[in-house]
Amino acid sequence: MDECVLVVDDDREIVRAIALLLEKEGYRVLRAYDGMEALRILGEQSVQLIIMDVMMPKLDGLSAMMKIRERKNLPIIVLSAKTEDTDKILGLSMGADDYVSKPFHPQELAARVKSQLRRYTMLGGIHAQHEDEEIVNGRLCYRLQERTLYVDGEPVKLTATETKIMELLMRNRGRIFPAEEIYERVWEEPSFAPENTVMVHIRHIREKIELNPKEPEYIKVVWGIGYKMEKR
Amino acid sequence: MDTKWKKGKVLCSFMVFAIGVTMLIVNLVPALGIFLALDGKIFQRQVDYQESSQFRSLISGRLEDLLGVATGGKSWGNEDIEPQAFSGVAVAEETVIEESAPGDYWEVYQDTMEDVRRQLKEDYEAYVHEQEYADHLAEMRADAEGEALDRYYNYYDDGYGYAYVTGWTLDDYMKDMAYNKNIRYAIVKQDKLLYTNIEVYENQTGKDWDGTDFSDSLVPEEYNFTLWYNREGDGKVQIVKDGREEDVYGDGIYRDDSRWYVPGYANFTLGESAKDVVIFLAAAKEPQLYLVGDYSGYGVDQYGGRLYYMRQSLLELNREFEKRCAYLIASVILIVLGMILHKNKKTADRKIADMLGKVCLEIKIPLFLFILFTLVGKSAGVLTAMAWKISNGGSYYYSWSGDIVYEIARMCKAGGYLAAFYWLFYLAVLDFNGNRHRQRKPLIRLLRTKDFKYPIQKKLVRRQRTALIIEIIILVAAGVFFSVLSLLYGMASEYLGGYDLWEWADMYGYRYGGAAYGLGMILLILATAVLCVPVAFMVVDICMLRRNRKLAEDIGALSDQIQAVREGSLTENLDLGEDTDLQEAAKNLNEIQKGMETALREQMKSERMKVDLVTNVSHDIKTPLTSIISYVELLRQEQDLPEHVKEFIQILGEKSERLGNIVQDVFEISKATSGQLPMKMETLDMGKLLRQTLADMNGQIEQSSFMMKLAIPETPMPVVADGQRLYRVFQNLLQNALRYSLEGSRIFLTLTEEAGQIIVRMKNTSSVELTGTKDFTERFVRGDESRTDGGSGLGLSIAKSFTQACGGSLVVETDADLFTVTVAFKKAESDSLDGEEELS
Repeated sequence: MDECVLVVDDDREIVRAIALLLEKEGYRVLRAYDGMEALRILGEQSVQLIIMDVMMPKLDGLSAMMKIRERKNLPIIVLSAKTEDTDKILGLSMGADDYVSKPFHPQELAARVKSQLRRYTMLGGIHAQHEDEEIVNGRLCYRLQERTLYVDGEPVKLTATETKIMELLMRNRGRIFPAEEIYERVWEEPSFAPENTVMVHIRHIREKIELNPKEPEYIKVVWGIGYKMEKR
Repeated sequence: MDTKWKKGKVLCSFMVFAIGVTMLIVNLVPALGIFLALDGKIFQRQVDYQESSQFRSLISGRLEDLLGVATGGKSWGNEDIEPQAFSGVAVAEETVIEESAPGDYWEVYQDTMEDVRRQLKEDYEAYVHEQEYADHLAEMRADAEGEALDRYYNYYDDGYGYAYVTGWTLDDYMKDMAYNKNIRYAIVKQDKLLYTNIEVYENQTGKDWDGTDFSDSLVPEEYNFTLWYNREGDGKVQIVKDGREEDVYGDGIYRDDSRWYVPGYANFTLGESAKDVVIFLAAAKEPQLYLVGDYSGYGVDQYGGRLYYMRQSLLELNREFEKRCAYLIASVILIVLGMILHKNKKTADRKIADMLGKVCLEIKIPLFLFILFTLVGKSAGVLTAMAWKISNGGSYYYSWSGDIVYEIARMCKAGGYLAAFYWLFYLAVLDFNGNRHRQRKPLIRLLRTKDFKYPIQKKLVRRQRTALIIEIIILVAAGVFFSVLSLLYGMASEYLGGYDLWEWADMYGYRYGGAAYGLGMILLILATAVLCVPVAFMVVDICMLRRNRKLAEDIGALSDQIQAVREGSLTENLDLGEDTDLQEAAKNLNEIQKGMETALREQMKSERMKVDLVTNVSHDIKTPLTSIISYVELLRQEQDLPEHVKEFIQILGEKSERLGNIVQDVFEISKATSGQLPMKMETLDMGKLLRQTLADMNGQIEQSSFMMKLAIPETPMPVVADGQRLYRVFQNLLQNALRYSLEGSRIFLTLTEEAGQIIVRMKNTSSVELTGTKDFTERFVRGDESRTDGGSGLGLSIAKSFTQACGGSLVVETDADLFTVTVAFKKAESDSLDGEEELS
């Protein structure tokens, strides 16, 4: 692989660490230490993905991102020490494809890079399928006829129960299912204290589809009510 | 020094003005009086006393006397009787004399004359009584300075006062006339010289008179006034003064204001008896006193005094007038000086007005009225007398008593009263103008301002006491009033001739229209006095009531305000007004309110600063932490490292992750406690939430040595909360239990509904001994202080903060090693939850 990733952060050590990690994964890494430099490099070289910090001298991450978005459509992962939801929403709405808050786990970042690049490079191929035969939700794609779940375009191995749960949730994205309902629909028998059973399966599914299973992005618990598939 | 000098100047200018005005008023009255008395003939060294009415009156009187002597009548000596007041009697007597024949007077008209005389005497006595009783002393003095005739009067007590009748003889009279050389006279009857006091003719008495002019024997310079009666046999009077004959009769009709009261007018003739009488009179130009020592009798007798004093009086009046004029000029100069210094005088006026303004009205008005009434009462007599005298003026000198010094003193007194009036009104006007716009200061206000110094409780007690004292004073005053009244009445009844109250009422009523009226008056006075006491009490009570009602209103407002402050109103201030009793309290409350508001604002500011600080610090920690975690990961990926190094790297990884967690926890808790945590409140089922949480943490629970004892009912337990936060609460609680419970013990988790409250109770047995005083929900507090375990010490603190942020409560109780956490929420309307369920 020779996908090129541009890492931008004013903290040189962080840039170096990320670069080392990504290079180990086999990516070509370019380094920049402020927004202006990032723009300059983008103008000179072909870059497939940008990892960019928000708070930087000269030109901050958000401004730089807006400038980049004027010309290019490449995926951008935003790094920030701010963890509040408002910051996250702001970042995403201004054109970021993903948002990773510091301190992040390097493996998670690597996974996100991989995920973003896959979706970026595989654009078009997936969409050849008819829409009624598949349900797309962000990185996930469930093909009804195959009864198979694709994550970032790659099929994921699920058990029969897990597949049933995923089909239910993918068909009803955004809807909250109480544990009883999931149990009854999947197992097709009356439930008793189903939370544990349902939760075990959900945890397994998360490990297969989420980039960071501890902070799931797709299957979410609605505490005190039930579970739902987040619409992406 | 400057101010002292200025003060002195102010005082001086006012004094100058005051003395000037006072002198002017005091001297104006006597000056005017004298001016009128002198008929405007002022500033004279030589006076012509013969021009005065007194002189004419005396001469006409003397002429009458001599006519009486000549005709044998009894009317001589009447000149001393006040002719003005007694003119009616005098005329009547004249008539009688005219009608009576000489000699047989008594026989012929005995009966009728007796009647007339008796009537006259009674009238006269009544008159004398009225006159003498009032002006007795003045009259006496006037007589004494007269012709020294008083010793001829027989005084007797008529039961009312003194009256006198003349009791002297013709010889006495003639002797008197003889010594008095100021008036020369001669009486000729039937051409025979009857009497004279002209030395040259004294030896010719009884002899025939050859018609010689008696005045020839007198020095014209000494006796410049001569009077002839009936010289031509026409019954007329000729008067020659300073060689010039005077026009005696005018148009020949006698009137009230005719110059001479002598016979010879067309309507004033004498009877037959006076037909053959010729009388000569001459008056000295400068009369003197003639003293005759009669040591067998009364010592030294004085003769001729009337004319002498007449002239002397005029001279003296002239001098007096000059003196008064000098005073007036001086006073005018002073007033002019005062006008020049009017600026200073104005200052003085203002100062006086200020001084008067300090005196309260309750004193000023009665004092003013008292002085006014006293002045009116005192001055009424003098002033009316003066007015009368001045209006009559000098043309009627008889209105003056003989004593000039006394008269002038009286006039000065009248002037003094006028001055007093002037100053009284001057001060009143000054006060009115100067203090009209100033806030009046009644006495009760003074009391109140004094009142302000005391705290409210003392004030109330004082006020009650003041009212009580005032009431006692009223009672005592009423008692004293009645005692004094009865005492006075006792004294008065003695004075009134021993009448008691009812008799007096009867008498009083008799005089003024009936006993009932008198009794009514007395009862009215008594009733008024008796009513005064309760009315005064009522006034005092009403005053108290009014002030206390305001106080009650204020207390109400104050307590309302306290309530409002307690409920969080920190901006609305309480304003009770300036003069209220609770003004101080209201002010204090307002300050407390302000202080609270400031404190709250400060607190919020500092909370915000704290959050900002924590945010910044956590951000600053996160960046290096990111590097640490990344490089640890890089190290972990190194293949050929010794085992122990790999172990170290493992530890580094764990600790750096924990550090990240702590930073995140601190950040969140600071936000939660300052209320800046965004909350997403919704209705959710507590039972489900607990089951979900347990399912979520199932792995940890199963790995642990503890056994979960659950009592979570299937029935919905709806609460309104932020599910994500509440999950953190129970996650923290469970982690806390899993971390600190005694190895192998049970953890109890129960969900119940008690009295509208959803209560989650978690009990576990602590692995370390718990000391009862610790508050485990404080930040960084743990069962043991060594802090070697994996917790941040923030778990319970976060749980409590989040619970509270969701509107619930979290209480930690310890009993020996039993650790109990109770989370309570208000039960929500279950409808919404059911709706959610139906939706699914």
